[in-house]
Amino acid sequence: MTIPSVTRFQQMIARNKDAVRGRRRFVNSFMLFLAGLMTLAAVIPLFWIVGYVIYKGGQYINLDFFIHTARPMGMTGGGVLHAIEGTLVITFLAAVFSIPPGVLAAFYAARSPNTPLGIALRFGTDVLSGVPSIVIGLFVYAIMVVPMGHYSGLAGGVAMGILMLPTIIRTTEEMLKLVPHTLREGSLALGAAEWKTSLSVLFPSALNGIITGFLLAIARASGETAPLLFTVLGNERYDIGAIIRNGAVQKQNIFQILGHIVNQPVDSLPLTLWKYAQQPYPERVAQSWAVALVLMIFVLLVNILARLWIETRKRRMQG
Amino acid sequence: METINANKVEVKGLSVRYGKFRALAEINFAVRTNKITAIIGPSGCGKSTLLRSFNRMNDLTANARVTGEILLDGQDINAKGVDIVDVRRRVGMVFQRPNPFPKSIHDNVTYGPRLYGIRNRSDLDEIVEKSLRQAALWDEVKDKLHQSGLSLSGGQQQRLCIARALAVEPEVILMDEPASALDPISTLKIEELMHDIVRDYTIIIVTHNMQQAARVSDFTAMMMIDDQRAGRMIEFNDTNVIFTNPKDKRTEDYVTGRFG
Repeated sequence: MTIPSVTRFQQMIARNKDAVRGRRRFVNSFMLFLAGLMTLAAVIPLFWIVGYVIYKGGQYINLDFFIHTARPMGMTGGGVLHAIEGTLVITFLAAVFSIPPGVLAAFYAARSPNTPLGIALRFGTDVLSGVPSIVIGLFVYAIMVVPMGHYSGLAGGVAMGILMLPTIIRTTEEMLKLVPHTLREGSLALGAAEWKTSLSVLFPSALNGIITGFLLAIARASGETAPLLFTVLGNERYDIGAIIRNGAVQKQNIFQILGHIVNQPVDSLPLTLWKYAQQPYPERVAQSWAVALVLMIFVLLVNILARLWIETRKRRMQG
Repeated sequence: METINANKVEVKGLSVRYGKFRALAEINFAVRTNKITAIIGPSGCGKSTLLRSFNRMNDLTANARVTGEILLDGQDINAKGVDIVDVRRRVGMVFQRPNPFPKSIHDNVTYGPRLYGIRNRSDLDEIVEKSLRQAALWDEVKDKLHQSGLSLSGGQQQRLCIARALAVEPEVILMDEPASALDPISTLKIEELMHDIVRDYTIIIVTHNMQQAARVSDFTAMMMIDDQRAGRMIEFNDTNVIFTNPKDKRTEDYVTGRFG
């Protein structure tokens, strides 16, 4: 016959059992409540902004808004085709100027991080990503707008490209570093050269992440206003359709027409939003809300398309 | 003729340093043609470093320095004027973890041949079938050659990597623990295919698995670190001798599992 022995420690915890349990439950639920409350606080502005923009902008959105350029101030109607086209032109130019050098620089940085050039590149991208975007605008104003004598979509594209460069270099570099090094060795062990390995093994493996980086950079750049103030100026009569028709009538070649498209002041969605919102005409203020909505949808669309593309690619890769 | 080619690779006084640290010290041994040579030893004793010396993969490590000679058919692969691409074509490698490229099965196998300028479609198709058959994978994948190599199971992926290495018709195949990430059945398949292909190739395998070394290899090299933490080859002999009658007490302790 054995009496179950109770140690001194067991006696002590038995005595405190209820108090400890009560306290623990209280602290636990309190912390959970606090975390929930803060989550709510963080989510509210997000939905508020989205909801308010949809509410205010949705009232004005119609088909005309997308297919017409601006009417003279004070008149009703008209659209923001000029700003949509301008944004697309600037974004396209920015992508062309920033993606090829950004990707190649990232390959270099991932391959030779400790060479002088690699260190300089890392330092440069860090500094560049910290430079206020308006300073980049000012810089491009000084090196392009002043010498050329006029504002242009080209200058806007260069400013946006500079703005996108650090994001593209950094995300591409990070994605390349995530590719297992055995994959690289597998290719080199077959006798492949470094560039061949980078191009046909590393790049495809990292492509999803790299594309995501591009789109993040594009989405961020397409919402920027400051670098455009000094570079594209704004142009309410910018109309690519009209430029092409005009060019066709005058029998200009393709390069002349492209020149007209990029080498004149253009407009952009955020710039238009900013200008319209401070004009005394209620029509224009209403339009600026609609522009905000279009901008939001544009950025959202870029993100959704990117995700869809990456998903299908992923599925195809895994057979 | 037989005697001239009996040794595919001869290693003479090989040392590898990483900066000041000597990882391998004074390795001397010979790898016999058309035989499987296993390299065994505890973790960190330089097995992989030694293996990676045979196709100059150590060149990729920034501060690695190789001294001594590695003679492939009598020619030092580290000599001036030797084309590293040529060395790597003649000495293929299979890695610890399957590392198929994110490409189709077909393109994984043709990756090597394409590097050497083979572009003709039917030539490439022929190489694909031959290599996959050698790697005992053909029957499983012949109907899905254009699916991603990543869609295969781990064991199949590893055999795909073997096929990829075989596609450039190397003379020596280096295997760095090729089955350590695989299940027993996949391991068995790899071991069987090693037996099948060794007629045409010379195989050097690093393994942690003593039974595997005993099962597959003809010769075994036992490595261990000395008191300066440099890897040394303490015994090299017929696999039978290493596992039944080793000369060195440390080898005996290691192969019988008594090693601390």
